[in-house]
Amino acid sequence: MESLNNLMYGFGIALEPMNIAYVFFGVFAGTIIGMLPGLGPISALALMIPITFAMEPSSGLILMAGVYYGAIFGGSTSSILLNAPGVAGTVATSFDGYPMAKQGMAGKALAIAAYASFIGGTVSIVFLMLVAPLLGKVAVSFGPAEYFSLMVLGLTAVVSLSDKSLVKGLIAAVLGVMISIMGIDLQTGTERYTFGSAHLLDGIDFLVVALGIFALAEVFYILLRGGGGKEAPRNAIGSLKLSRSEVSQIAPPIARSSVLGFFTGVLPGAGATIGSFLGYSMEKRLAKDGHTFGKGNIKGVAAPEAANNAACTGSFVPLLTLGVPGSGTTAVLLGALLIMGVSPGPMMLENRPDVFWGVIASMYIGNIFLLVLNLPLIPLIAKILDMPKPMLLSLILIFCMVGVYGMSFSIFDLLLLLGFGLLGLGMRLFGFPTAPLILGLILGAIMEESMRRALQISGGDWSTFIDKPISMWLLIIAALSLLLPLAKRGLTKMRSPAAS
Amino acid sequence: MTAKLPVKHLTLLALPLAAASLATLAQAQDWTPTRSIEFIAPANPGGGWDTLVRTTSRVIQEEGLADQNFAAINVPGGGGAVAWAQIARDSGNPHKLFATSPPIILVPLAGTSRHDHTAFTPIARLITDYSIVLVRDDSPYSDLNELFAAMQENPNLSVGGGSAPGSMDHISIAGLASAAGLNAAEVNYVPFSGGGEAMTSLMGGHVEAVITGAGEASGQLGEGSDIRALGVSAPERMGGALADVPTYQEQDIDYTFDIWRGVMGAPDMSAEAVAYYEDLFAQMLETDGWEQAREQLGWIDAYQNSEEFGDFLDAQKAQFSEVLSDLGLLGQ
Amino acid sequence: MTRFNTNQWLALIIAVFAAAYLWMAWQIPSFPLPRPVDSDLFPKVLGFTLLALAALLFLERPAEVVSGDEEADAAAQAAREDTARSLLLSPWSRVVVTSLAIVAYALLLVPFGFVLASTLLGFGLSWYFGYRRHAINLVVSLGVVLTLYLTLTRAMGVYLPTGLLPF
Repeated sequence: MESLNNLMYGFGIALEPMNIAYVFFGVFAGTIIGMLPGLGPISALALMIPITFAMEPSSGLILMAGVYYGAIFGGSTSSILLNAPGVAGTVATSFDGYPMAKQGMAGKALAIAAYASFIGGTVSIVFLMLVAPLLGKVAVSFGPAEYFSLMVLGLTAVVSLSDKSLVKGLIAAVLGVMISIMGIDLQTGTERYTFGSAHLLDGIDFLVVALGIFALAEVFYILLRGGGGKEAPRNAIGSLKLSRSEVSQIAPPIARSSVLGFFTGVLPGAGATIGSFLGYSMEKRLAKDGHTFGKGNIKGVAAPEAANNAACTGSFVPLLTLGVPGSGTTAVLLGALLIMGVSPGPMMLENRPDVFWGVIASMYIGNIFLLVLNLPLIPLIAKILDMPKPMLLSLILIFCMVGVYGMSFSIFDLLLLLGFGLLGLGMRLFGFPTAPLILGLILGAIMEESMRRALQISGGDWSTFIDKPISMWLLIIAALSLLLPLAKRGLTKMRSPAAS
Repeated sequence: MTAKLPVKHLTLLALPLAAASLATLAQAQDWTPTRSIEFIAPANPGGGWDTLVRTTSRVIQEEGLADQNFAAINVPGGGGAVAWAQIARDSGNPHKLFATSPPIILVPLAGTSRHDHTAFTPIARLITDYSIVLVRDDSPYSDLNELFAAMQENPNLSVGGGSAPGSMDHISIAGLASAAGLNAAEVNYVPFSGGGEAMTSLMGGHVEAVITGAGEASGQLGEGSDIRALGVSAPERMGGALADVPTYQEQDIDYTFDIWRGVMGAPDMSAEAVAYYEDLFAQMLETDGWEQAREQLGWIDAYQNSEEFGDFLDAQKAQFSEVLSDLGLLGQ
Repeated sequence: MTRFNTNQWLALIIAVFAAAYLWMAWQIPSFPLPRPVDSDLFPKVLGFTLLALAALLFLERPAEVVSGDEEADAAAQAAREDTARSLLLSPWSRVVVTSLAIVAYALLLVPFGFVLASTLLGFGLSWYFGYRRHAINLVVSLGVVLTLYLTLTRAMGVYLPTGLLPF
């Protein structure tokens, strides 16, 4: 009841005409920023700080939050249409979204992404409203040891991401981890695999690898298959409508991934990317038609999209209840709030309820705006596939270059992008799955860092990973998720000769 | 740059002031910029350097202090090393400035940049922040000396910080420990990627104490908070939320640590250009726009002109080298 | 001596890479302060893991190309076509030329400026890939690049190199 009153109070703030305008502007700008590869929500928000400088804190945060979840919402577009994930959280969407687009179902893929995003976002706002104050404590209970175990659990998804050959999938994952630990080692300040170049001191940015291995490699692959002007297969956009059976197919994955995404989002540092990968691999394992994941399964679009939007909302929990940033993006939001004279934290609910409840209420409105804004736009945006192929290919290239350059301002990174494009092409030609590489890249460095941090705290005592109950359970789940499929396979093998 | 409306508004207010300052400028200057000034933040948008660059550019523009535009440019990479290497190649260019802070000394000392502060032209030190030592509210330590006594007894006791070993937070706590009579290398420093992450870990009870920037921590302190501060590295008590936090010196540990920020220029900038910028930044610090921004960001004015700043940097290098050699991290 | 199959060749290449990676792992200096796990442990574990995986790959029988997977099929077909008209090498030369164009773009971006370099790249590649309506091509390339440029520089305050053009 009380939260209902609070919510009403929040709506009172969010429905002020100026604030409605800010929500609208925020989600609109966010959608566009999300669609452009490279300009992630972090830099978009950082660049927006000067605008919010003079604003009322609640309006400022309403605007910036809108940009953030708008960008995650819009990020799926380039993943689906161009295989060019502009935001790390939407990489998993491209696994099935892009194959769907190639099969002439771009409209459906985009529509599913929009519905899943909307539901994921809305479900997690309900969670945020009801349990945020309780969850703050859970978020900080994750220390280095727990993170290590969570990353191990995340990496078990490699098994489900590599169908053709497990060995090749594992090789790709190891490569990903190798890339992730390049640069200055935070634990010692030592350079690793930098080849003496200052450009590699910070390691290789995720976006460079993702755009190279997905988008650029795809362009090369099309070129290699002789895809130039001559064949020019116009990709149909297809219908946006979902059949009843499709709706009932995607409803459970969306529900599960919304919850999963919200909780990974709450954990500082885990965030949208890991949430979407976990959601994807969970659905792939649960699904009866798991083998069609990666070839255009609608559940493979719905799950990661619900998860990444839910995670985005979830990441507001540690920010609003504890005043600690759970991700790079919320760190920028925290900085902006401090500039506006609001210190988020345990006291914020009492000191600035207008900010807290105003933002939550504005998120409901923002998500509705996003759905209403995006659905009619889908046929228009999907028209991009209707372009003559040669032009589409060269535009994808330009998009990738601008994305990388606009983020790092580095010529070196453009050359790296090319390198990863060629690597991705090679991997495709020789049957190496690329998704495990990305997963290793995202999780590898965090895994190593938290492992060493945990050991530094425990004084080198490895039992710290088992002594902490959360960590132990995560490791047990990880072990089970590796062993169960193997055991299943073993059982069926044992039974089949007996049956015959 | 983007906020068009408020800009105009402020310019109107500041017009008399700006006119006066322009008049003095006209008399004193032998050199004025002839094209827009590249003002580089050697990091991604959102960090300390970036905030400094964007805030100063904005104030200078709004108050009409310079005829030429200040273009904020981000050159991230290598904790600044990429930008420094780029600027070092631009010797004598009077239209290239960059924001700087202790890493300009620490990163070269750690061996990951070939260019240190002596390669560039000091322009002015602008502001400073201080280090702060935090513990959980239910922690048994009531002051720094108790914390250090416990550290001596249990060398495993972990202190989290927001940067790699050998960089700012580590130097700050190691120098403090050695001033308190411990061996600097005895501090079990656990690096996190950022002060926020370190504070989260403190709240969860994963580390015993945390060292971070006072400005960053101030939002976390106060009534009902899970964490409290044991000491701050300022020479005297700070204001606002930090007014209750004793300094190190009050606890008989003779040690201060500045997280200063300032502006440097391309190598071998002409004396006239340096004089122009010195003046420009000195004037900027006097404006209302700056005062407002500074208060919102929790910065403390700490102006030094080019010469003082240069001497200060040399002294800082000596101080940092000493701590690093105590740690055994020097000259790898 | 029996001929190596694809997997075996790949395994050998990966093993050489892993060996080089391991050699570099041993060059990582140890940290002067005591650490339970130093910077070199993880790379060493990764290197050996990769070596072991290469061994497994060496033993794994290559998947039949006709695995029902359209992509693998197409690739194989492309490879076959490739050898068939090995003189032309047209698909591969497309990849090479595109790569060179990207390198050229990277090198010319700052001297030429963002707008000019990007428009040239977009226009040139569309032409090269087979688009022949040059007027439309130019309008689209320039339009997209200008939109991106204005969004980034004007709305977002990102600095992009101006180069030869005054803006």
